[in-house]
Amino acid sequence: MEQLETKDIQGVIIRGYAHFHAACFSVLTITDPSAAKKWIRALSPQVTGGHIKPVDNALHIAFTFDGLKSLGLNKETLNSFPLEFEDGMTTRHKQQFLGDFGTSDPVNWIWGGKTNEPVHILLMMYAPDAQALISFYEKQKSAWTVSGMTELLELKTTVLPARKEHFGFHDGIAQPIIKGLKKTGVEGNTVATGEFILGYKNEYGQYPATPQSGNLDLGKNGSYLVFRQLQQDVESFWRYMDDSTRPTDGERDEKEMLRLASKMLGRWPNGTPLVLSPDNQRPDLKEADNFDYHASDADGMKCPFGAHVRRSNPRYALDTDPRTSVAIANKHRILRRGRSYGTPVAPSMRAEDILKSTDYEGDRGLHFLCFNADIGRQFEFIQNAWINNPKFGGLYDERDPLTGNHHRPEENKTTGTFTIQRPGLRMRYNDVPEFVSVKGGAYFFMPGLKALSHLSSI
Amino acid sequence: MTSHGALSVVVNIKPRQEQLLIDTFKQMEKVEVDTNHLVPFRLITTIHFARFVVLQKDEDAKGHAIPARLVFTTNYDLPLENHLQQLVQIAGEGLWQIFSSCEYFPASSYNPESLYGYLQANNQQTETFYVGRGNRSVDQVEKENELRTAIETFIDQEEHSLKGEKPGVVRNKIIEFVSKRPDLAWATTPDPAPSMGWMTSFYGKMIGVILLTLLFSPLILLLVIVWMLIMLVHELREADEPDPVTKEHARELIARETGVVQTQFSALGNIKPGKFRLLTMLFLLRMTNFLAPYLFSKGKLSGIPTVHFARWLIINDGKQMLFLSNFDGNSEGYLRDFIHIAAKQLTLMFCHTVGYPKTRLMVFGGAKDAKGFMDWARNKQIVTNIWYSANKDVTVSNIFHNSKVRDGLYKEMNEAEACKWLQLF
Repeated sequence: MEQLETKDIQGVIIRGYAHFHAACFSVLTITDPSAAKKWIRALSPQVTGGHIKPVDNALHIAFTFDGLKSLGLNKETLNSFPLEFEDGMTTRHKQQFLGDFGTSDPVNWIWGGKTNEPVHILLMMYAPDAQALISFYEKQKSAWTVSGMTELLELKTTVLPARKEHFGFHDGIAQPIIKGLKKTGVEGNTVATGEFILGYKNEYGQYPATPQSGNLDLGKNGSYLVFRQLQQDVESFWRYMDDSTRPTDGERDEKEMLRLASKMLGRWPNGTPLVLSPDNQRPDLKEADNFDYHASDADGMKCPFGAHVRRSNPRYALDTDPRTSVAIANKHRILRRGRSYGTPVAPSMRAEDILKSTDYEGDRGLHFLCFNADIGRQFEFIQNAWINNPKFGGLYDERDPLTGNHHRPEENKTTGTFTIQRPGLRMRYNDVPEFVSVKGGAYFFMPGLKALSHLSSI
Repeated sequence: MTSHGALSVVVNIKPRQEQLLIDTFKQMEKVEVDTNHLVPFRLITTIHFARFVVLQKDEDAKGHAIPARLVFTTNYDLPLENHLQQLVQIAGEGLWQIFSSCEYFPASSYNPESLYGYLQANNQQTETFYVGRGNRSVDQVEKENELRTAIETFIDQEEHSLKGEKPGVVRNKIIEFVSKRPDLAWATTPDPAPSMGWMTSFYGKMIGVILLTLLFSPLILLLVIVWMLIMLVHELREADEPDPVTKEHARELIARETGVVQTQFSALGNIKPGKFRLLTMLFLLRMTNFLAPYLFSKGKLSGIPTVHFARWLIINDGKQMLFLSNFDGNSEGYLRDFIHIAAKQLTLMFCHTVGYPKTRLMVFGGAKDAKGFMDWARNKQIVTNIWYSANKDVTVSNIFHNSKVRDGLYKEMNEAEACKWLQLF
């Protein structure tokens, strides 16, 4: 078994820092490369390795392709980075591949888009509480402002109670277990280290493609970080559930609203998988992840074919035999490290309270972050072949009801379809709005610590 | 029942006419492939898929020059004569203009008969032809999809009146709806089953071959063993020639992948030198061609559920392999399916081309080397200048599903069966 060089791997790849209740991400652009390199040199010792669980704070750094170029990496080294990382997520092809149209169009992004300042560096800061984060952030800021760096924007985050996201659902449950970390996971959920960290064998038993600087393996212990700022329209989400479930004559039916929203998600608000408990949520199943669609829900009667969790990780249920299916699904996994932002609609974050809310003012959403070793085969594939694929799982014209982009530039259509399979006739919803819009994003390379010091010395 | 054919016109391009053709295709694409005035594909109702591919000047495995060629292919509804007639009738002058840039094309002014003759004479043999969408005509695929869509809309509109009704009642209301719609009149009768003659010939051939194989099995076994040993010697001797793919090439290819539902793939590779490789490849391709209709009749090519049509050709006097396919999803997923689902079967057919990852006994190794396989595939992949699909929005899975919807309109059903049928929506 290969030994992980945890000391050289940036810690956020290995752990999500649930104990750090405050975090912020600074999006930086380099104005003076040599000053910036000095800054990186000084910063390197503070960057948190993966060998310890930090107590006071954590600091991480990642670079876009433009950022590496700006630091002065030579052409040959730059060319050794993968195509997806070099081209980014806003080319014409990528816009279509990822489904970023309408309100998600990169021309309207706040950062990382076609009309925005070039993004070079992402600095990620974590601390136990808001106060500690402010002083940590100020300290970092005072260093970069005198080091040839401009902050394009600071992306703040919020930790919501009970690990909820803004719609009121438990988030971040089904994470793959990294094989090399020797934790034992559910069968079918333990994934080769090289799927997430460069320099280790992947699910094919091969080493992932890695950037080279001369003889140095620049990729070793690094990873690719996908960042997408996803704005969530909580009002539209719950209003849709209300409009679609309200009986023609009567009062609103909160139970039905919750049921429809949960069908779209594939889990109940507390995290209970529909496959394990189709009729109600159960406290004992709130983080349950040991379930499958193929054996217990082949017809989609419990968890609809189009549900968000069934699309984003189909497990044993792809159109092939179950063993092959899970082997395929595990070649398209990502490590999620996202954090919410913006004030919650209801402080309790109970779905029952959120749907009752009358005040939806404010900008809120999810800073979606994930790590993978092959952006094309992992993040982009999930987005294109599963989330935004109108034909996923034998369906005809549906995209992910939660995060899918229903915009069809050629048809002027901005709503989608969602079907709930039932014994006999299905229930179909034909006018599902887009609840989530992309507001910014970029692909980053998060180097190992040795590679980081190399970057500061070129 | 309709059967399908693969038309593959492969001809040398006249010297210095290559760019002219590429520009013509660019123009056709700019106007819109479906309705361009040269070859208005949409009007040619026998075509499921079609493409034009310009094969650039090249060298074979031994370094001998190969001139630029033009490839024009269609997946059509049989019979061929009818298809060729339609091509000439509707797109005759356009095809005349295009093929005028090719060698041995009549120098006269437009003449439908000589065009027909030219297409027929230059139609190359397909070594393996795989049909994933079953025996359905272009029109049937389209209509059965419309049928399902119409019923879905009906169900949405009648949501309240159908609520609480028993499955049998709901089904009857759907059947009644279909029978009342003049545009769905065709759906009141089932698609004709294959004729006795067809069935006899289809299964007769299979039984014949099985009997022959059994009869000669000791001899065949011996031959296979000897053949495999010779192959192993070849495999050990052949040098590994990895073919990394450049970013420019990859970019050009993926930028052309703009379909939401379907995509195409064209690949050209040199066959490894020597008669032995060529013979082995021909034998395997032809055997697969014979077996495919029996083995892969349910819409899955060696387990891959997304391929509408695929074909393998050996062109240029046995020097090169041309592989063309039409499938659902994106090419990344498609190529990954090769590795994940059908590595051995496809390695058996592809391993005779230069640059393919090292194999042992033609099935071991090969596509197991995922990186080597992806590099090989992208390296061999070439730009498809024009690509047309008649039913762009239906997947193989949709096509089979739609037929089940239609078939369910005719039979007697009990409540449980009716319930199951309703779940198709």
